[in-house]
Amino acid sequence: MPPTAIQPAKNAVGVKVPRTMRGRLLILLSRYREASIAVVAIVLVIYFQLGSDGGFLSPSFMSVVLRDTGRLGLIAAAEVMLMITGEIDLSLSAIFSIAPYVMALLSVTYGVPLAVGAVIGVLIGILVGAINGIITVRFKVPSLITTVGTLFFLQGIVVSIYNSQPIVAPVEQPFNAIFGQSLYQPTDALLSWHGVTAFTPFLWTLLLVLVLAMVLNRTTFGLHTIATGSNIIGAREIGVRTDRMKIYNFMIAGGFAAFAGIINTAQFTSADPQAGSPFLTLQAIAAAVIGGTSLLGGSGTVIGALIGAFVVASLNNGLVMIGAQATVSDIYLGAAIIAAMILSIQVDRLRTRRRV
Amino acid sequence: MNNQTIPPLAPDAPVVLEMTNISKSFGAVTALVDVSIKLRQGEVLALVGDNGAGKSTLIKILSGFHQPDTGTIVSQGKEVRFASPRDARAQGIETVYQDLALIGDLSVFHNMFLGREYHKRVLGLNLLDNRKMREQAQLYLDTLGITIPSVNSTVDLLSGGQRQCIAVARSIYSSPKILVLDEPLAALGVRESAHVLGLIQNLRQQRQVSVILIVHNYNQIFEVCDRINFLHSGEIALDASTADTSEEELIRIVKSGLGRKAIDAAAAQTRPGLL
Repeated sequence: MPPTAIQPAKNAVGVKVPRTMRGRLLILLSRYREASIAVVAIVLVIYFQLGSDGGFLSPSFMSVVLRDTGRLGLIAAAEVMLMITGEIDLSLSAIFSIAPYVMALLSVTYGVPLAVGAVIGVLIGILVGAINGIITVRFKVPSLITTVGTLFFLQGIVVSIYNSQPIVAPVEQPFNAIFGQSLYQPTDALLSWHGVTAFTPFLWTLLLVLVLAMVLNRTTFGLHTIATGSNIIGAREIGVRTDRMKIYNFMIAGGFAAFAGIINTAQFTSADPQAGSPFLTLQAIAAAVIGGTSLLGGSGTVIGALIGAFVVASLNNGLVMIGAQATVSDIYLGAAIIAAMILSIQVDRLRTRRRV
Repeated sequence: MNNQTIPPLAPDAPVVLEMTNISKSFGAVTALVDVSIKLRQGEVLALVGDNGAGKSTLIKILSGFHQPDTGTIVSQGKEVRFASPRDARAQGIETVYQDLALIGDLSVFHNMFLGREYHKRVLGLNLLDNRKMREQAQLYLDTLGITIPSVNSTVDLLSGGQRQCIAVARSIYSSPKILVLDEPLAALGVRESAHVLGLIQNLRQQRQVSVILIVHNYNQIFEVCDRINFLHSGEIALDASTADTSEEELIRIVKSGLGRKAIDAAAAQTRPGLL
């Protein structure tokens, strides 16, 4: 699209705004929100490492923390994409339960290979996401309500399939080891195949979050996702298909939650219809918020969500390790969510107030 | 403002748009009655009128949001029908609405290229070519004489005037034949208005893009417009060149709510001996 051939203007319009250190710092802080949460994560690691006499960073304990991080991080990153479009999905925990349940059921009753069942499970997640999206967009039901509806609906289905009994899923190698089962023994070298399996859930999450970060920051899809959440009317006037952007992001969230559930089942070789409690989704949203994503739409960071998930997982496991009651971690988590939200809103306010 | 350096529009400038006998009603409400306007190449036309006079309806018909009940639109010499804003855009008619349709959380250069992004292939993936968009946006804003702190800064950090300039620049970038600006000076301070007026003045100097400008402040009309159309109760009450009329006369006509002919006729009636 060539621009109109217009000669340089003789009289320049507009004003030059002085670029101050403070202004730059605020822009930097709002652009690289991940940095501040990364600092928090590092401080937390040092604190737990000292408090546990070096036990926190041991391979076996890190395996546990990073497994939790992986499970939470996948859902948190998917939730970030939705929160950027101005929506939210509370049904992800039900998708987290139903996808691996279908996979295990297909394997047990029809002998369907786990890999095939996993693909079907992810497709179910994507389908549920599409339904969430279509109901939200076409019927203008707030997604908070839509997804609470599908949450109960799916949870009801999954517990009634098999009288809420967990299914012992068959173990098929290398499927299980690739997707979550740890073969690691303290005698194994960390850089061996067995060593890697201690971290496979986290490595999958890391890979997918990096892909999502690239999609968000380097593709038209990401740009239109941000535009949809930032100014939906304006985005429509420009020609962004805002309804589709929302539906696609619901589908991504559903697929991610399904995959997280499958990883969980591959790890525990059991499909529990109540594996994903709604609390899991809330923890993921907490991770997203701590990571620097606001619920206001238009901005967010999936890398931040992963670091946020690490912070949540560290709090959950680390406090227990240094001898605190397991329940104490929720107190810290609650305070962290509120503090993160206040900070995020303050940073936004500071930087927009600086405009001339 | 380099007002005096701009020569008047050539009398033989081709007509790029002709809306003839446009009427539009919304249910029982009549918005427009047989309105005709003509726009020539490079002309800056002011559309004035009180709230509810039909200005918005007229430009929404022109930009394809509304369809007229009767009347024809002739663009570039051929009759056109706009079923949607997309059709109007395809005919080179760009509209900048009051809300500007800018995305506050995106950078200036992403806003400039939203919906027509540049891409590059990286390892078979279709990724945004941010560098090219950044360079092009900077180059283009420089060309238009728009100064902003940085094309990287998000739009919500810009002032109202800067945003208006960016919105206009984005519209001009798609090489429109006709640019419709809906109250571009509303909510802008004196200095910011000057920036936007400067931008329009630059366009007027080039005489390539025709502009329809909806404004309320009448002295600004005389600064940047070639012609004025005054809409009153859904009809064109006055169609005059800014050279042939004065701000005082315009204000008198707007206040009376009558067209110039009606005023002249009334004057002739009360003082027949003088004519």
